[in-house]
Amino acid sequence: MKIVAPISRIEEIAPLAAAGADELYCSVVSPRWLERFHTSGISRRAFANLPDYADLERAARLADEHGIRLSLALNAQHYSAEQLEAALQIVADFDSLGGAAVIAGDPLLISILSRHSFRLRIHVSSIAGCRNSETAAFYRDLGAHRIIFPRDITLKEMAVMIDRHRDLEFESFVLNDGCVYEEGLCHTIHLPAKLGGPICLDQYQGEFRRLDGQPLSLEEQAALQNNEQDYQNWLWYRFGCGFTMTPAGLPYGPCALCALPEWETVGLHSIKIAGRDAPLARKLKGVEMVNAVRARLDQNPSDIRRFARDIRQTPDHCASGRMCYYPMTLPVRKEEENNLTPDVSEIP
Amino acid sequence: MNTPEFSLACTESITVRRLLKTPEAVCVRAWLPEADTDNPDWNERTITRIHLGNEFCERLLPEMGILETALADSRFAVSLTLPALSDQGMKRVLPLLASLPHGQEVIVNDWGALRLVRHSYPDLKPSAGRLLCKQIKDPRLPSAEWAGLCPSGIFSDPYAAFLMDYGVSRMEVDIPPYAQAADLFDGKIRLSVHLGYGYVMKGRMCKIGSLNLPPAARFQPGHGCGRECLEYVEHTARPTVSDLRSFQRGNTRFYAHDHDMWNAVRGASHAGRVDRLIIHGDWHEDRRPH
Repeated sequence: MKIVAPISRIEEIAPLAAAGADELYCSVVSPRWLERFHTSGISRRAFANLPDYADLERAARLADEHGIRLSLALNAQHYSAEQLEAALQIVADFDSLGGAAVIAGDPLLISILSRHSFRLRIHVSSIAGCRNSETAAFYRDLGAHRIIFPRDITLKEMAVMIDRHRDLEFESFVLNDGCVYEEGLCHTIHLPAKLGGPICLDQYQGEFRRLDGQPLSLEEQAALQNNEQDYQNWLWYRFGCGFTMTPAGLPYGPCALCALPEWETVGLHSIKIAGRDAPLARKLKGVEMVNAVRARLDQNPSDIRRFARDIRQTPDHCASGRMCYYPMTLPVRKEEENNLTPDVSEIP
Repeated sequence: MNTPEFSLACTESITVRRLLKTPEAVCVRAWLPEADTDNPDWNERTITRIHLGNEFCERLLPEMGILETALADSRFAVSLTLPALSDQGMKRVLPLLASLPHGQEVIVNDWGALRLVRHSYPDLKPSAGRLLCKQIKDPRLPSAEWAGLCPSGIFSDPYAAFLMDYGVSRMEVDIPPYAQAADLFDGKIRLSVHLGYGYVMKGRMCKIGSLNLPPAARFQPGHGCGRECLEYVEHTARPTVSDLRSFQRGNTRFYAHDHDMWNAVRGASHAGRVDRLIIHGDWHEDRRPH
């Protein structure tokens, strides 16, 4: 399994490569783009983009010197027709620089790219929300080489898609950054903090009502309150345990280190560390954690999972399951599954 | 003046039955949200189509029986609405698609569902649902300038050509905040507009769907539920700001149209840019008829 890590500055390439990253991804927002479109929304990040094409050129050269592949994220959900033209030119330039792949989330952009004879590959962004085998086939037909799974699909669902499409590579999130809603179906802007910031962090307050117009019973009020408290706890984990780190500086946030043995078995191609906008130290710790688990993949899966859970030295967080991208990897969860309302995969 | 077709979107069987059995329920006035009851040219129009199904959750696929009942009523055309799907959800859709007569419309909200319809049910007529027609729809945006920062390409010629390559000749859209009637235009693809409410964002995990699960099972991908979304709605608001009214139904957040948005729909409809309006019969902030 290849480790895919983010960069936002070219100085990050050498240390991340040394730490074990096999592939890197970045985005670029040039003054030319800003002048023309008055927005940095070319890759869903207002910050953490390389500032100009010259930096992209240097990044491509440096990545090549370190023997690792560099992908360019052009993964907005949608572009205007004018932006698509400009994006196509960026891709052409990146191709001529020897770039490895473009990460795209807009099917129209993917369709346009595949009609050109670029050497670089097309990776379908998690933004595209590829959650079933037919959608994977749709993107393969369009010319995609790799599918990056969205967050919040199950390991079982991934295994089915990987098995049905051996002609595609698949990549999955392994560390950091958990959206509350599906990123490809969230049509908001991460506003400046004074306007509310990301909507999932904004100060919304909710009030439940019955749809039949009847008042909530005391039992209903208690159940809803209990569920809300649990939801707030889940959000806290979703947002990196309140955006904190372990005493040793290891990142919290959604984690799938325990899933590596299963991914190795089903043939997942690559694992992605999210967080273009994180500081280098966090990126490095992330790559080191993933690399340490990957180095043990010849061991017994339960030993690997134990090692993975011991890395942060925070057993309570790991045992909660709330910090997991895929909590179904927890041993206790497999026992509890017998007592649950069936998930959709079990509906006849 | 152009006159659009009106369709009633029904997630629940009970809504379909009410439409079919209650004489006054075929009138648009019976379903329009209160904000538009002063619209004289729409109120007396008749519902002539049913959008059957839910766009946001595969646990709410319609039962075969109610689909057959709707198809059997000659007063109404039927559009089967499909949500974003998992592989298992895709399997459950197959018998529904197989039961549809030649030429029936299917609203797809998933590129895989579009591919499935094209390859396995070429006699059906796919339309692109609003989950495939992406636009910025943040109900908090303070100005139209903000809305213009991330322009959508759905009304562009390349997007129309892309959809038409897949046999799609109609797309469904929301009215985003600050939209103008003139914004809703393609020219090649026919347009349907969702009336009254737009969707902001959809999750896979569902807060209300976790209500009756043990804590350790809540908020997981693919978790089970007791369809609590049919019982409860969460009204949402920021305490210090006056935004568009918003609410969470199931796994999805919605905003209610303000006066300007209603005017934008009316203008686009009168200008012939929109030829179908979709009224939500039960998937909104209040199940009771308006």
